[in-house]
Amino acid sequence: MRSSERLRTLEGRLHASCCRMLRTASLIFGLVFCGMCQIQNQPDDGQWIMAAKNYSSTRFSTLDQINSGNAATLKLAWTFSTGLTKGHEAAPLIVNNTMYLVTPWPNLLYALDLTKPGAPLKWKYTPHASRSSQGTACCDVVNRGAAYYNGRIYYNTLDVHTVAVDANTGREIWKTQLGSIDDGESITMAPIVVKGKVLVGNSGGEFGVRGWLAALDADTGKIVWRAYSTGPDKDVLIGPSFKPFYAADRGKDLGVKSWPADAWKIGGGSAWSWISYDPDLDLIYYGTSNAGPWNADQRPGDNKWTSTLFARRPETGEAIWAYQMNPHDEHDYDGVNENVLADLNIKGQARKVLLHPDRNGRLYVIDRATGEVLSAEAFAYVNTSTSVDLKTGHLNTVPAKSTGLKTVRDICPAAPGGKDWQPSAFSPKTGWLYLPHNNLCMDFEGLQANYISGTPYVGANVRMYAGPGGNRGEFTAWDPANARAVWSVKETFPAWSGALVTAGDVVFYGTMDGWFKALDARTGKLLWQFKTGSGIVGQPVSYRGPDNKQYIAIFAGVGGWSGAVVSGGLNTQDGSAALGFVNAMTDLPQHTNTGGTLYVFSLP
Amino acid sequence: MFFRSRNLLLAGSGAAFVSLLAGCQREKQELRPRPAQVAVYGDAARESEIQPGGPQTQAAVNNPFYSNALAISEGQRLFSWYNCSGCHANGGGAIGPPLIKKDWIYGGEPANLFDTIVKGRPNGMPAWGGRIPEYQVWQLVAYIRSLNGEQPKSATPERQDHIETNPETLHFEEGANR
Amino acid sequence: MKPRMAASLALGLAAFCSGCAVSYQSSVDPAGTQAEQIAVLWWFFLALLGAIFVLVMAFAVWPLFHRHRGVNPEALEERHEPSRETERKLGRVVGWASGITVLILLALIVISVITGRATAGSEPPRDHLAIEVTGSQWWWSVRYVNDDASRILTTANEIHVPVGRTVLIRGLSHDVIHSFWIPNLQGKRDLIPSRVTTEWFQASRPGRYRGQCAEFCGLQHAKMALWVIAEPSDRYDAWMENQLKPAAAPSTPDTQAGQQVFLSHACVFCHTIRGTSAAGQAGPDLTHLASRLTIAAGTLANTKGNLAGWITDPQSIKPGNHMATVPLRSEDLQPLVDYLESLQ
Repeated sequence: MRSSERLRTLEGRLHASCCRMLRTASLIFGLVFCGMCQIQNQPDDGQWIMAAKNYSSTRFSTLDQINSGNAATLKLAWTFSTGLTKGHEAAPLIVNNTMYLVTPWPNLLYALDLTKPGAPLKWKYTPHASRSSQGTACCDVVNRGAAYYNGRIYYNTLDVHTVAVDANTGREIWKTQLGSIDDGESITMAPIVVKGKVLVGNSGGEFGVRGWLAALDADTGKIVWRAYSTGPDKDVLIGPSFKPFYAADRGKDLGVKSWPADAWKIGGGSAWSWISYDPDLDLIYYGTSNAGPWNADQRPGDNKWTSTLFARRPETGEAIWAYQMNPHDEHDYDGVNENVLADLNIKGQARKVLLHPDRNGRLYVIDRATGEVLSAEAFAYVNTSTSVDLKTGHLNTVPAKSTGLKTVRDICPAAPGGKDWQPSAFSPKTGWLYLPHNNLCMDFEGLQANYISGTPYVGANVRMYAGPGGNRGEFTAWDPANARAVWSVKETFPAWSGALVTAGDVVFYGTMDGWFKALDARTGKLLWQFKTGSGIVGQPVSYRGPDNKQYIAIFAGVGGWSGAVVSGGLNTQDGSAALGFVNAMTDLPQHTNTGGTLYVFSLP
Repeated sequence: MFFRSRNLLLAGSGAAFVSLLAGCQREKQELRPRPAQVAVYGDAARESEIQPGGPQTQAAVNNPFYSNALAISEGQRLFSWYNCSGCHANGGGAIGPPLIKKDWIYGGEPANLFDTIVKGRPNGMPAWGGRIPEYQVWQLVAYIRSLNGEQPKSATPERQDHIETNPETLHFEEGANR
Repeated sequence: MKPRMAASLALGLAAFCSGCAVSYQSSVDPAGTQAEQIAVLWWFFLALLGAIFVLVMAFAVWPLFHRHRGVNPEALEERHEPSRETERKLGRVVGWASGITVLILLALIVISVITGRATAGSEPPRDHLAIEVTGSQWWWSVRYVNDDASRILTTANEIHVPVGRTVLIRGLSHDVIHSFWIPNLQGKRDLIPSRVTTEWFQASRPGRYRGQCAEFCGLQHAKMALWVIAEPSDRYDAWMENQLKPAAAPSTPDTQAGQQVFLSHACVFCHTIRGTSAAGQAGPDLTHLASRLTIAAGTLANTKGNLAGWITDPQSIKPGNHMATVPLRSEDLQPLVDYLESLQ
């Protein structure tokens, strides 16, 4: 199809659905309006150029060829095996009729030619990531994907490098080292490129690293700025423009003062997950990890800026506002989960917000210009906190569930939180957030942790198990404007894959025993499912192929923290293995083996 | 009569003496290894079963701390102090593979375990050689072997005062007294 | 009394009293409010019970010397029972003695309880200084509590306190039951794993007071000591400010080499020196090692010779303790000791 034709069709579709949406929005008071124009800052052209689809991280595809009426007829189009057996968490990228796949370590980059039948391999790039870096990855040697910009593919390798690869030829343009595995660092996150800068954050909150977010020049790979998550203000890039909304986040050098001497140097706060960007406000949004060690008695104080949401300027990295969600975190409640940018009508007012489902089980709706918390209701079973005081931003924790050098039982949510990294999707059509999440509780025994660089710095014996109800996972459709769940589907295993929602009102996600499911976005009814070869922890994407058909692509290949019992071959007699996750997943090996394969589906 | 009871007495005390001897190795407390050497790269352990050209005898390198209770207990302490438990949990594995298993990639004999700890391994096991002294490596080896039931029960450490790690029984019950 | 008996009695008394003169780690030389109360109780007990002892001994010995006049020794076969008169007399004496004993015991109980309550106290005053002491085999980890997290000081085996200020000790243990005891200042308080125990004391005069673990805790229980140094407030504040600073960077080639030795050997696996990359927490914090009186939890005086010997062969000094025998080349030992002794 000629590009002009394609454009016309696309324009037509955009226009039609825009008007439809306007009518719907004005009828049902309050929900979102012309989503595409504002929420998606890049025009949707049937491609997928960054892991979260767009800067707002909606993971919403405007393609509606597949809809709730015909999804039941979906069939497998083709598959591609990566030949690897660890957790496949990446989102495939589709740009210019080429699909780009990043694998877990050794972090290969595959380019598949979608114009030919069976999508044959165009080229393969290998970054030669250090084999030893597998020893510093807390939660399997995963990689969450790449970003496309200006003819190049940018992604990170486990041994703390970022690479830029020519999207046509597969030739390496530059490779920059940002840290060292000897310090316990690694990188698993999918970068985004904003204003010509590649934004990268490290991993290693379990290794006593010092967390940071860095920006590299997309052309040269040089580090332009680096914002640390702990330490003095000049390292955290907190300057005169910094205006946190709440008093608890105001003060000088809080990244030092809220720690015992020098503890902030090994305090964690890594930025290992998702970044969003609002071009109108010119702010990037991301969160920082848990504080290290897990045994909180070793680090009295609020431990800023771990478990914190930051808003920064992409050009300079300077912080504009910050909000610490879990001060003095005692349960491994990282703050790194995705921030979905949406414009919602909250209590009769139109607000520019970000939706942040946190590890502590609360779905934060935060004004993304100022950092004010508008609501923080629990989307999972929570007994570690009762509420968030909206005036002070303070998380009201439950003293009985406070951990330390003692054993505390029945802590909900468990360390992987109400939801871990697995990203949610937001549909401007329904106005709902689709959350794949967990239902886990834990027993936690704090131990004295000893710091030896390059080795874990944790200090806890943990055992997790299913929360109330007995199901370990759940997939929930959440109405953020009214702060309540609309429908939910219980899952035996934690719902550890990402979610995808389309304009056809279909929502996709995968289960850890290998079922890839399509649900009706409005009712939650199961429309279709397919049993893949291995448990699914990847992120589903949708694209328009050269034949104008809509395709859904998903990686199967169990692993990640929840799948470590299978991908790591762990011993199920030790419930404390994999930081306590094995206790909750002793049956997983009966339901799936490892094996990374990409599955692509379409209508017949 | 007297003769028989005397024999019985001798036999009984002889048996007691022999059984006591068996405890000597368990009870030996070698607190001061001399000389203390830094653990260096060892090549004593074979890691493959293929012997080209036919079988060949090789002297086994034994753990000097086999069945020694203090050494196994020290190994248990060092296992958590040196963060082995951070990657291997309580034997089940996490970042690293489990240490309670039958199929060892690099061999599960004491000499193999010694090599693994001292040299490190390609897929992420750090190299501890050149830093911790040799006797501590053997203590760790003794402990790891005890996890796999390769040490006499009399020398294996008792259950620690930590939460139980057997996953069989746990499920959520809000307010349940446990 | 015979001369030999008198001599031995005098000698015994002198030996007995010599204990009173020693003030080193002594409960009878109180330097704190609570210790004074305990000491008063102790002396009272000693005096009262000593007097009773003398009395009882006198009554026991007197019949040996007393010649009873005017009573004929009665033949055993003739008289089996004492007369009623004697019975009554005996009954009265025993009755009175028992009654007095019970009263004395009651009085002692009351006084003990009062003293116990006084030393334990009900609530520490608002401006008390809180210190967390964690017992490990066989050393003491000390952490000064502070609302301002950046002023929380972690040190080991030596506690400085300002004179006259109430100090609250929160006791914890990492492994087995230990007991925190500074005889000059307070009574014993057990440190029990998974529990927090508290006691407080108040030093009334400056001085150095040795303490000792008072609950058997393993091979080196006997060598698990600590020092509490009470000093005037200004000197205490100066000490605290110095301790909060990170370790001074080594300034001579010798100490720089020593720091390199420290960082490249197994030392970093267990010890912290703030200001360097060493952040191990299994063993004592060494950031200001040279400012302490002793090393190895009060076992040795803090001198270069002792430190060198300790590093080279800790097991010969404290057999069974958890410090590894880290092999060092001879040319590394001197710089290392020089560096550690520069950590004021």
